[in-house]
Amino acid sequence: MDPLLTFIVILVGMYGLSTSKNIIKSVFSVTIMESGVILLFLNLGNTEGGSIPIVSRASEVIADPLPQALMITTIVIGSTVTALALMLCIKVFHHYGTVEWREILARGGGK
Amino acid sequence: MPDMLEVTAYALQVLLILMAIAIVTHKNNGTIIILIAVFSLVTASLYVINKAPDVAIAEVAIGSAIIPLIYVISISRQREFIVLDKAMDDFIISDNSFTGVGYIFLKRFTDFYHLELNISNDVRLCSLGAGRDQLLCEETNVDLIITKDEDTGKYILKGKESSILMNKLKQMAKDYEMIEVVTFKDRDFGD
Amino acid sequence: MIRNGFLLLLLLVLFSVFYFSLQDLLEFQKTSASYFLEYGLDETGSSNLVTSILLDYRLFDSLFEAGILLIAVSGIIWISKHEIEEKNAEFMIDKFKTPDLFVTFSRLVYPLMLAFGFYIIINGHVSPGGGFQGGAIVATAILILYYIDAEKETNIKLIVTIEKYLYLTILVIASLSFFTRGTFFTNIFDPGTFDTGTQSIYLIVLNVLVGFKVALGLWTIFTAFLKEGR
Repeated sequence: MDPLLTFIVILVGMYGLSTSKNIIKSVFSVTIMESGVILLFLNLGNTEGGSIPIVSRASEVIADPLPQALMITTIVIGSTVTALALMLCIKVFHHYGTVEWREILARGGGK
Repeated sequence: MPDMLEVTAYALQVLLILMAIAIVTHKNNGTIIILIAVFSLVTASLYVINKAPDVAIAEVAIGSAIIPLIYVISISRQREFIVLDKAMDDFIISDNSFTGVGYIFLKRFTDFYHLELNISNDVRLCSLGAGRDQLLCEETNVDLIITKDEDTGKYILKGKESSILMNKLKQMAKDYEMIEVVTFKDRDFGD
Repeated sequence: MIRNGFLLLLLLVLFSVFYFSLQDLLEFQKTSASYFLEYGLDETGSSNLVTSILLDYRLFDSLFEAGILLIAVSGIIWISKHEIEEKNAEFMIDKFKTPDLFVTFSRLVYPLMLAFGFYIIINGHVSPGGGFQGGAIVATAILILYYIDAEKETNIKLIVTIEKYLYLTILVIASLSFFTRGTFFTNIFDPGTFDTGTQSIYLIVLNVLVGFKVALGLWTIFTAFLKEGR
């Protein structure tokens, strides 16, 4: 497990976010970045030779439960935020007739 | 001999990066939804390898069912062109089939822009007065309203001025004598 | 093309910054795990340390998280609301005729999924799981109902009202510890006088409430999406 490989996932999401031409593509990229961030946190919280964070007689070393608890909330919040963004996207399509960033900005959508 | 779990973890990481690149660069939105569902399954297995079963359960439940569903719905919705037919004569339906002049015109328009044509003549929405057409356009997802001018016999197509599709429709309607395209002025959006 | 190359260069710079700061980040993992392993069970009564953080040490965070969920749900409903009543708001799914085989299997799977969701919620303090994950599974089970019966009508208003009251109940139960122990947002049973068995009652109650809240929230979200029709 390497945090560097996880960071590449975040960078791919960033690349997608900055090159995406359409709103749905941007939302996809945000989802990817979110997964990368979660993986990075869990990766850093994981200790070598540790077990899952449940107290038992066998476990001497455990993975850090704190980032895991934070990441559970991130997943639930992330899904609702994605849903909110997509709902806005539907509304934007029915108002501007398109979901391409360029055309929306050309019609004064970025004011 | 190397630790098998570690090898699996590295293989999944590389797979994850490849899938992320595929999602970012792929053109077809339908394929991307399937990729997103598989992507979240791969991340869930990586969470388990990272000793976080709690997070994996949450990811599997949300990332493989609810997220793809909302993506499917929003992508299918952004291909629709909803038309409300208030005229209710042979403009759209003649001889009990979709062969009216207006239908052929609209079908040509939507096929050209790869949209899906959806015509409704809901009784409740049609019974609203002509003064509320603008409100109807803004409050519901209706993109186009068809009405008939009794004096001149022209068909009037009403839509939002902000929509880029209405501009293109105007261009196309120039060749037709009996069709007139009218757009509503913008009010503040989202206010 | 030049823009693309510039972007790639920027990402490369970010990557190298991350590479050089990695050593500092790795210090992060030596902080709290041993403390939680040593005192977590005694102080909170939960063998699952993730649950002990979510429902005891950092209950304040979880409460705000549930609040954000509520706000996001209200936002989705507010965006998707239509002032003019739409009578034939068809559901998306009934456009594709659901195959009979799929319906039959959904009927078989639905109670199992619901039971699994409740199991995850109730056993949140001893095994992996808890309110948030179990709530998501219950919501997925409810989603299957729409495949079985496409005509199903849902009263969104009622669901959101229940959700609001559930959130208030969670807040009240979380603050009860002020009267028993003198501090807000922790277990109402003092670890000095009660054993872990008694303490887990509080965890189960809070897990069930959070689970229902999350399930109702996600249910509202996908109902709003399914209804987003003519």
